[in-house]
Amino acid sequence: MTQTPDPEQAQAAIEYCYAQGWSDGLPLVPASQPLVDRFLATTSRSPDEVIGEVEQVGRDCTVYLAAVNAAMAGCLPEYFPVVLAAFDALMRERAARGGGWQSTSGPAPMIVVNGPIRHELAFNTGGGAFGPGFRPNATIPRAIGLIVRNAFGIHPHVLEQATQGLPGRWSICLAENEEESPWPPFAADGGQPEGTSAVSATLLRTCEFVDNRHTPDPEQVLTDIADTISRTGSLIFRDTSAGVVFCPEHAQMLAEAGFSKKGVQEWLMEHCGRTGADLRRVGKNGLRGIGRFADPDTSADDAFSHILPSPRHVPIVVAGARNAAISMVVRIFGEWSGTATAVAPVPAALVRP
Amino acid sequence: MPHPILDPTGTTTTAAKPKAPRAHRRHDLKGATVGLLVNTKQNAAPFLDEIGRLLVDQYGARGTIARTKVNFAAPAPEDLVKEMAASCDVIVTGIGDCGSCSASAVADGIVFEAAGLPAAAICSDAFKVTADAMAGLRGAPGYRYATTPHPVAVLTPEQVKQRAATVLDDVAALLTEDE
Repeated sequence: MTQTPDPEQAQAAIEYCYAQGWSDGLPLVPASQPLVDRFLATTSRSPDEVIGEVEQVGRDCTVYLAAVNAAMAGCLPEYFPVVLAAFDALMRERAARGGGWQSTSGPAPMIVVNGPIRHELAFNTGGGAFGPGFRPNATIPRAIGLIVRNAFGIHPHVLEQATQGLPGRWSICLAENEEESPWPPFAADGGQPEGTSAVSATLLRTCEFVDNRHTPDPEQVLTDIADTISRTGSLIFRDTSAGVVFCPEHAQMLAEAGFSKKGVQEWLMEHCGRTGADLRRVGKNGLRGIGRFADPDTSADDAFSHILPSPRHVPIVVAGARNAAISMVVRIFGEWSGTATAVAPVPAALVRP
Repeated sequence: MPHPILDPTGTTTTAAKPKAPRAHRRHDLKGATVGLLVNTKQNAAPFLDEIGRLLVDQYGARGTIARTKVNFAAPAPEDLVKEMAASCDVIVTGIGDCGSCSASAVADGIVFEAAGLPAAAICSDAFKVTADAMAGLRGAPGYRYATTPHPVAVLTPEQVKQRAATVLDDVAALLTEDE
């Protein structure tokens, strides 16, 4: 019989981590120096390099702390370059550098992985794209959550003030289904050459499915998606940002009808929005600066307000299985930086034989 | 020898923060110029304007100077603190009524105290825990601030005035009473 590790010791170590207040609620992998050294061996960056800070709480995160938290999240050492790229991408988001982690909105990072690294690290690129069930997809966003909690010290109910939060916080990491996408990879929209292993990231307020498998007309599909994007409950500012994670079937239908990504974005920019009367009925027809408020004025009832100001406000990703026509509107917190971060290759000198 | 379990917080070796200084209190507000630091949250501007008006009317303050903080999540930038410290005698800041801005209103108060100005931060009561946590982070555990019931954003102009009147004496006390 093969000797297994002592479960009693493992349990004691897990409970120790809970007792320190390090856990997001689920068990952590207790991190040891040898394990963390294996993470640090995948990058040429100094362990002391600061990779992000939240000025108002006086805390920052180093490469070393990111490695400890990634190890605790259950990442394998070889995922670490992706964790670092995801964190770099996220730190380009204005909301993530500002008060986003403390917000009542409780936003969730959405991480999108492109390029050969998806297969090298065995990301799920197919069905069940939003999870769960796959180690890299599940543990990399969890590492981000643990960094926010432990390195930045932003804990729920204290410096983190999410009113309800959202399902999937710290668990959304899509590996784009490039093989079944008719369009260039998402990282190309973020400025990385096709074929590059790269990570993009933004913050979400929620995900909303659009199930439309009943029409062969691509404009009807887009109209259905536009209806979800234009939902008044999500509108708090003059402009909004809503991405679409297309299933391969919808993406292919649109591409066959001649829609490029840009074509889809322009169509949605033109068709998403509400009339003044719709907005007035929900108390959001007035504008004070960029904020919406209730205004009794009915004179703009017939006017149509567009809500998506630019293609960057409508990021488009293709993910999931080619087995049903179900796509996801992803409601973005603030706006996406429009950039992707290349995953640094493991330096040859550091690759262990 | 067994390996120790590593700490993911990076805080175990951090020394205790020095205690944040508190500005010397005035005896009263007669003739004082009141700086109003508005954080852009809904109703913050009319709320603080009314506080300022009442401090002039009822406490003899000389006048008010209002400034807006563009990034509500972060403490006031250094140049703004300098400018207000040069032109004002006391500061009222708020309204802390969101996840990051409540903590930040308290941080502002502590920053102005260090610059030598008595400050009164106003937060809604739903955010006391996060405001207190920020005070601890800034070396001012137990920092006193004024609270008003949540929510503030939905109040009508008339209700904002009533709220301001309700919290007025607390604000004046924060600006004039020794600890």
